[in-house]
Amino acid sequence: MTTAFIFGLLISLMLTGMPISIALGLTVLTFLFTMTQVPIESVALKLFTGIEKFEIMAIPFFILAGNFLTHGGVARRMIAFATACVGHLHGGLGLAGVLACALFAAVSGSSPATVVAIGSILLPAMIAQGFPKRFGAGVITTSGALGILIPPSIVMVMYAVATNTSVGQLFIAGVIPGIALATMLGVVTWYRAWKNDYPRLPRASFLIVLRTFKDSLWGLLLIVIVIGGIYTGMFTPTEAAAMSAVYAFFVSVFVYKDMTLKQVPKVLLDSANMSAMLLYIITNAILFSFLMTHENIPQAMAQWMIDQNLSVILFLLGCNILLLLAGNVMEPSSITLIMAPILFPIAIKLGIDPVHFGIMMVVNMEVGMCHPPVGLNLYVASGITHMGITELTVAVWPWLLTMLVFLVIVTYWPPLSLWLPRALGMM
Amino acid sequence: MILRFLDRFEEVMITFLMAAATLVIFVAVVHRYAAGLPIPGVQDFLLGLNLAWAQELCIYMFIWMAKIGAAYGVRTGIHVGVDVMINALSSEWRNKFIIFGLLAGALFTGTVGTFAVRFVHELYSTEQVSADMELPMWLVYMGLPIGSYLMCFRFLQACYRFIRTGSLPRPDHTKVEGIEAVEILHADDSSSKGGKP
Repeated sequence: MTTAFIFGLLISLMLTGMPISIALGLTVLTFLFTMTQVPIESVALKLFTGIEKFEIMAIPFFILAGNFLTHGGVARRMIAFATACVGHLHGGLGLAGVLACALFAAVSGSSPATVVAIGSILLPAMIAQGFPKRFGAGVITTSGALGILIPPSIVMVMYAVATNTSVGQLFIAGVIPGIALATMLGVVTWYRAWKNDYPRLPRASFLIVLRTFKDSLWGLLLIVIVIGGIYTGMFTPTEAAAMSAVYAFFVSVFVYKDMTLKQVPKVLLDSANMSAMLLYIITNAILFSFLMTHENIPQAMAQWMIDQNLSVILFLLGCNILLLLAGNVMEPSSITLIMAPILFPIAIKLGIDPVHFGIMMVVNMEVGMCHPPVGLNLYVASGITHMGITELTVAVWPWLLTMLVFLVIVTYWPPLSLWLPRALGMM
Repeated sequence: MILRFLDRFEEVMITFLMAAATLVIFVAVVHRYAAGLPIPGVQDFLLGLNLAWAQELCIYMFIWMAKIGAAYGVRTGIHVGVDVMINALSSEWRNKFIIFGLLAGALFTGTVGTFAVRFVHELYSTEQVSADMELPMWLVYMGLPIGSYLMCFRFLQACYRFIRTGSLPRPDHTKVEGIEAVEILHADDSSSKGGKP
């Protein structure tokens, strides 16, 4: 009864189009004032102190770092390097786009940022080269989603915060699935380009490969700082994020000089704006999950599922469908923050590894970002290409289908995500 | 005039907090490793510095940033919701829902602001201080009532403007910043890729 009331209220408030954070907060307040004995003071305390965790502060830092990288010329040099490496194969610039997205994803924690960084440069170049608009848009929109699977990843930090899982383990676990998905997207790109005989570039000489590599080295070093730093224990994830923000600032302004000091305050302001929005959702989502835990809802649901003798396979299938449906109406951060605290206790009781479950959720979010109505990647790509959302939806389907296949693999084959962190002795 | 000052205050404040928090953590990390280097004189000096408060300061700075930034976010329209359903409605109903949503935002933030005032008021009489920096806690949490009331004001302002002019702050997805980079690529296209086919 209580459960139905809470969810009913939350969903109806959300459907009115009010900000998700407000819908979450109002649900909790309504419940508090009408139905429960929880002392208001304890809730207020949660509301004010809920985000006082150092791990959460990785999010603003990663956003800041991402913004510096997007505007600071790092993306451009990575594209040049990727093009020199694979531009001569079938798919040419398209294949280079997949590789560039994967490289950029390894320094940035957000999908739409990856689409902007790579797409705004590569898409016009592809069209100029004679690729159909749809092909380019499809490649970049879906490859950009790698941004949240290949570490660092803001969505993984959110999941870690919501479920008390280690950010470091999640990051390392994302490496192999990230490379696997990039490969699969690359193969689809290659196959479609080969079948339709799209333009290829002349093979770049080894010298050019070397030079473009040297140019992009400053950006690529960031991968070492973040992943290496976290893995060796030199930095906590939050510290690594702060270091990468400072490093990205330094490279953009003083090494590549693609950004002037005058542009820096604008980047800071935009990052602060985005971070504040996410932190506000986190605050209210923590409040919401506090209420749920207090009312024993996730535990009751877990018990119910176990009583039904629900198999792991069926549960994971259900999770995937639920998350994909949620991906139709909400953006990833909100879904992760709302769903993870509910599904996580059930998953644990069924013996699913927390890290594996996290990676599965992230892949679900990736799929959600690439299809309408709220796929943020689609909107960003539509902004770059001036294509309608409907046309773009048609354009992305071959890659979207690939991602769904990949989702099935990730869901039912845990070693894909768990092997590396185990082999490295992290878990 | 006051409004312009308020706008400016929000922007300067969150820009500063973002930069300052980043620098604080950067300095603390560099200090941690630099203090391990055996440089005579310098090492003693570095070891003498205690930067244990850096994490705490960073957290509090980001909380202030989050609260004031959330208010700024209402102005820039970055707080997104699920607008699938209301977009399918007639514009008359859609407008009603939008006004409802904005007022709900004002109601929530107003309520939270009032909670926060009571919370800070209670802290004021307890003389609690923070763990590392030993700042009075009421000062640390002062950002909560300020931010919440500011956000409430921004929601009411957005609502008033929407009723008056029918326009709503929305983040513009069609305008992609960084697009100017395209020309740069085309300019050095030939040099970086060894000539166009």
